[in-house]
Amino acid sequence: MDDCVAAQKPGRSRLRYLPVEQLAPGMALAESLDFAERNIVRHRLPDGQVLTPEDVQQLVSSRTDLVRIVVPDARSDEEIAAAAAFVRASVEAIFAGADLGQPALAALFERVLAYRSQ
Amino acid sequence: MSHKLLREEVVASRDLLPVFPRVISEIFATLDDPESNLGVLEKLVARDPVLVARVLHLANVAASRSRRDDSIFNLYTAIALIGLAQLREEVIKSKLTGFVHGLLPAGVLPGLWQHGAATGVCAEQLALHLGLPAVPALVAGLLHDIGQVWLCRFQPAAFLSAWEEAKTRSTTIEAAERERFGVDHATIGAWLADSWGLPMQVCVAIRYHHCPDTALSVPLVPLLHVANVLSNALDLGGDYARVSALSQQCCDALGLRWDDSADLLFARIEAANRASAHFYDSPPAA
Repeated sequence: MDDCVAAQKPGRSRLRYLPVEQLAPGMALAESLDFAERNIVRHRLPDGQVLTPEDVQQLVSSRTDLVRIVVPDARSDEEIAAAAAFVRASVEAIFAGADLGQPALAALFERVLAYRSQ
Repeated sequence: MSHKLLREEVVASRDLLPVFPRVISEIFATLDDPESNLGVLEKLVARDPVLVARVLHLANVAASRSRRDDSIFNLYTAIALIGLAQLREEVIKSKLTGFVHGLLPAGVLPGLWQHGAATGVCAEQLALHLGLPAVPALVAGLLHDIGQVWLCRFQPAAFLSAWEEAKTRSTTIEAAERERFGVDHATIGAWLADSWGLPMQVCVAIRYHHCPDTALSVPLVPLLHVANVLSNALDLGGDYARVSALSQQCCDALGLRWDDSADLLFARIEAANRASAHFYDSPPAA
């Protein structure tokens, strides 16, 4: 979790979903979050917001389950390339028998690859 | 063909199997009545130490989120805190896990149950994502390959041969099963589900999970088909995750688009799968 803190520092980053119980002050939101009551938005935390202790407590007390945050990526270019190659090979093995000329299968393949590559 | 299976033979085998947990039917019978089976579930949970521990754990997690300072040790307080929906889910997972473990021969294809469990999680999360009823989805997902479990138990040599053929040749497991038994595991599973008194939508979803386009009028059919594909695509359970088909018509029927909006669904499925892992361990090895 510590590697998620201070995500606002410049440098390479990646996105990750975290359960609200694992959030900590200093983490940065990757997408905005709305807090609504009876379908009316009462409060919004914007994309890029660095979480304060109060924000974290508000999220933990809310119905939110997962939050997408920005995580600093300290990996080297070589490590990133190796991880990407591993992910692609793993996903291609799962879809080895699929006809990726079919739009639904091709779209799912690309989505899973993108999700695993984050 | 090794041995052409008939419905009567499969259904008659119930007498040789562990009794299907009655509580599953009771849950289905009272789904529209939010309070009616709470007492039944409370008594059932109270007799099961594993379920008691699980319910207390979930209640304490919920309590910590609502900033309660005191730990919860009382089962009835815990049940009141987690609510009937989550209690139903925990009972279904626990009872069907125990039931399937009782069916599977020890040490044979342990990944079979892990895949069923992962598909149950996918189906439940997909239902919640789409605003569809979660209980039928969970049960259909957990039991969708129950026909393979039956084949493992009653036709092990021919089934394992079909399994190996599907892995090593360019054929599907359903085709290899039909070649040997005259029917595939989806049909056998639907026969069993019907014989256990499960709702028709669950039986139909199990029957058509590999060929859903002919039964799209039942919403659980496309949902179970996609959930089965997702459990493999995300490599959640079992030791042979492969995706070979995905019905475009099912995706359209459910309104699913595989753009970046699917990432939250994937993340929720993975989180739910991790949270359920303690239920879904393999049966003991031989």
